Amino acid sequence: MQRRKTPQRASGAATAVKPMQALSAPFGSTALQRIVRLWRRKRIGRLLRHVLAWSVAALYAAPLLWLLVASLQPVGQPPPRTLAWFPQGVAWSNYLEIFRVAPLGRQIGNSLLVSVAGALITLLTASWAGFAMSRLPASSRRWLVGLALLLMLIPSSAVWLPRYVLFSGMGLLDSYAALVAPALLGTRSLLALMYYWSFHRISCEIYDSASLDGAGVWALWRRIALPLARPTTLAVAVLAFTHYWSDFVDPLLFLKSTQRFTIAVGLRMLQQMDATNWPLLMAAVVVMVAPVLVLYLLLQIILDKDASLHLRSSRLWRDAPIHLQLSAGSRTKEERR
Amino acid sequence: MAAPFVFGALLLVVLPAFLSFALAFVQYDALSPPTWRGIENFAVIFRREVFWIALRNTLVFAFSAAPLQALGALMIALLLHPERRGVRVHRAAVYLTSVLPDVAYALIWLWLLNPLYGPINLTLAWLGLPTPAWLVDPRTALASLVIVAAVRVGEGMLLLIAARRTAPDSIYDAAQIDGADRLRTFWHITLPWLAPWLLLLLIRDLVMAIHSSLTPVILMTGGGPGYATTLLPFLMYEEAFTHLRLGEAAAMMVVVFALIGPPIGLAGWLTRRWWREDAA
Repeated sequence: MQRRKTPQRASGAATAVKPMQALSAPFGSTALQRIVRLWRRKRIGRLLRHVLAWSVAALYAAPLLWLLVASLQPVGQPPPRTLAWFPQGVAWSNYLEIFRVAPLGRQIGNSLLVSVAGALITLLTASWAGFAMSRLPASSRRWLVGLALLLMLIPSSAVWLPRYVLFSGMGLLDSYAALVAPALLGTRSLLALMYYWSFHRISCEIYDSASLDGAGVWALWRRIALPLARPTTLAVAVLAFTHYWSDFVDPLLFLKSTQRFTIAVGLRMLQQMDATNWPLLMAAVVVMVAPVLVLYLLLQIILDKDASLHLRSSRLWRDAPIHLQLSAGSRTKEERR
Repeated sequence: MAAPFVFGALLLVVLPAFLSFALAFVQYDALSPPTWRGIENFAVIFRREVFWIALRNTLVFAFSAAPLQALGALMIALLLHPERRGVRVHRAAVYLTSVLPDVAYALIWLWLLNPLYGPINLTLAWLGLPTPAWLVDPRTALASLVIVAAVRVGEGMLLLIAARRTAPDSIYDAAQIDGADRLRTFWHITLPWLAPWLLLLLIRDLVMAIHSSLTPVILMTGGGPGYATTLLPFLMYEEAFTHLRLGEAAAMMVVVFALIGPPIGLAGWLTRRWWREDAA
């Protein structure tokens, strides 16, 4: 809603500059020409773009700012009904209070455990799968990549019901194993494919010479492939960690005992406890969001440092079957050449 | 070395996919062993009015959220694709909305859309505009969910920026020499160049809109007011875990699969076609 408002404002500003239209021309055509002519005058266009870009960024940053402001309102008074930021003062104590009101510390610990375990297992399985894809003969490689692509097309949220039945049959309900299980297939097959893409660039000669020196498959993977794909490892680790940290549906379905709750379901617990205590709820949201934002910004900075990686980093981002299909498509093109 | 991956894929995706089809034909409450029920599950859900309401809501939701999302991604991508000073900051601001955890995102919007104290309504009131009750009003509840989902354009934006970069500068130079203005350049060059990506993005947004709707519905509306925001995934969740009718929930899942299967198939078919043409 906010986003769609800005372009209208822009064209409004452009039309405001021009005088009345001649009545004989077909409706709107002269107006259009004028706008186009204004666009063509580069300076105005550039200024307009600049203003637009900043307002879009501001609109997108606004919710986060409002979140922070809401989390710092004093508890116990009705929320302010003005646009003034802190009419009742700033309550930093909210951030201590939530740890008293809710078992947030414990939930953060649980989340950390699940996320770190999930990320570590993912690094192993995804890099193994990617390595296998890059080293296998073309026929079995096509089969594996095809499987990964197929998995991308089935959102994991589409299979939670049968997974529930499966886990209850295996006695995994109410255990962290049920939450970390997706790490077996690299959390998202996108992550395995990311490893495949970066391993794929390593030339065969390096492997061959190492093999001649007597290195086995595992040594090739650990000594050569992994060190050369360090940025990918970083990105995969961040993506996997935030996946488990943010996961809401899995713990909601598979966890029963509240002392095992992760922070995602903990937030819902807090919401149900006292739905009108906005400052505390928003403070808890800030606590949950902060590590994710920090990790993504760090990742961005590190990947940006290596300019050659920058283009690829846009492809790496979260769960996009299409990113993947595109890249896989262009890859097969290269192979054919 | 791919063994864990293949094993995980079979155990966690392929097997469950088949299992959900099997479940749709049994009566099962997760406690006593399942009993065969044939197509009775489908007959039962088709007879219930709430199923049709949820189906309609789901279609309305997906077919309004996804196009808006794709359109927004296109506009922002075109705005933010040239490398300029500060453009990283702009992109990061837009992108960060998409990496927020779903729970946090839903709760933030629950606060923003609060009819009395929410910043959005306070701003609207300050501007002298009408202040709808958003999620509380059955007439605007579903529209509010659409807005919340449609604003998240980060991934689409990155995809389209990357796609726009693949367009060679030479076409644009040629267009400029021929005297094409910006509008024509957009209409005859940029849009056709981006069309395949846009279509795939649209299809992907459609599928994801349906599947990621469970979290916001649970946290923001609980399916209400009335049944105004009861979408199929939420109804499925209720059916399975509140009423323990797993068979009927699975039948609904089959319906959802039937809904999203064709677009997914279309996406796969289109990609393969386009890139084969490219390679030839």
